Amino acid sequence: SLTGNSLKISRVNIVSKKFQRHSPSGNSVTLKSPNTSTNFQPIHSTVTGGADSGETHSTVLSTESARDQLRPDMAASPDVIDGRIAGISAAIRVIPDFPKPGILFQDITTLLLDPKAFKDTIDLFVERYKDKDISVVAGIEARGFIFGPPIALAIGAKFVPMRKPNKLPGEVISEEYSLEYGTDKMEMHVGAVQAGERALVIDDLIATGGTLCAAISLLERVGVHVLECACVIELADLKVWFYLSITFVVRVCLVLPDSFAGCPLI
Amino acid sequence: MSAGRDDDPRIKGIKSKIRVVPDFPKPGIMFQDITTLLLAPNAFKDTIDLFVERYKNKNISVVAGIEARGFIFGPPIALAIGAKFVPLRKPRKLPGEVMSEEYILEYGSDCLEMHIGAVEQGERALVVDDLIATGGTLCAAMKLLERAGAEVVECACLIELPDLKGRERLNGKPLYVLVESH
Repeated sequence: SLTGNSLKISRVNIVSKKFQRHSPSGNSVTLKSPNTSTNFQPIHSTVTGGADSGETHSTVLSTESARDQLRPDMAASPDVIDGRIAGISAAIRVIPDFPKPGILFQDITTLLLDPKAFKDTIDLFVERYKDKDISVVAGIEARGFIFGPPIALAIGAKFVPMRKPNKLPGEVISEEYSLEYGTDKMEMHVGAVQAGERALVIDDLIATGGTLCAAISLLERVGVHVLECACVIELADLKVWFYLSITFVVRVCLVLPDSFAGCPLI
Repeated sequence: MSAGRDDDPRIKGIKSKIRVVPDFPKPGIMFQDITTLLLAPNAFKDTIDLFVERYKNKNISVVAGIEARGFIFGPPIALAIGAKFVPLRKPRKLPGEVMSEEYILEYGSDCLEMHIGAVEQGERALVVDDLIATGGTLCAAMKLLERAGAEVVECACLIELPDLKGRERLNGKPLYVLVESH
């Protein structure tokens, strides 16, 4: 049975038109049209199980102090959480066959076009993390750059961008991580964080967890305590490659078909 | 036209937090690194506040941010003034139907894309990026918004490199910057 935090989610706002447009300056642009259909069945969501049947996360914190306790009920009453979550999930657009056939891409750009839903997203995270002595919010390029800074600003923490290679100008440390085919690298500036600081890692979505794990590694290598990873969306059906200490998701958990298993990180 | 906001006491603190990294990405370039500003919560907050104070109550419904550092400054401004945030991205990153605008680089060209339907006719928009150099990227951004029928009210950047004359490339559109770097 579904828990009180589950939602019925339907895919909305799929773009299917194909047309040419002429700009005032005379440039003609052919617009890409994804191969889509406008008929979708509602998707029932379940709260992600993983190792914790029914709960969205388990904690492996070694300390019992109040500032380390993060419980699902901490943000607000269940009714308030559900009210905002429904709006947030409804604002996320699913694009089939992007970046390649068989993948259902979770597009948060439509969420960003809904100021109330975007604000609710940030508020849900801020309510959870304020007063927890978090001094670092690390955001993963590029969509983590959209959600991380507003959270950092609201809780008075630093924002640390975690970037693809050769983007950060100063001295960096790197962490390699696996993709479906090959590897990629994530970098962080030396000196951005200090040993003993308490950090969050932010991204729009967790798929296999490889990118988040690389970010955690970078932070832990310099002695930072990663309290939690926070994502707007979790792809609940994918096999998680690595064990994450905690994952908190804004209860938008989409159950997706098995064809997703083994997909590269989006 | 003076663009710096030297009169505001917060500017000095903001400027002091920007790190200059020589010879990045190539020899001879003095790279303006805003990541150190992001490590100073008060200065980062002041940065956003300066933009928000300028743009709230101006009926701006769209804040467009240029990938990737425009993604850091744009959303907090958008949230504070109640506007949409529209990411303007390198090619093939946006998943839906897009419109593209090509722009010239020192060697070759690049492309900026925006989702169709993100912006509607008649909306009033800002374009946000961390820095204006030659103005090529900002120009492409403005064109995308205008092609979608929006009015670009102003371009907003933290840093201007005035010697590169990017301001002149904006076709008369106003540019607001916090800090100049010569």
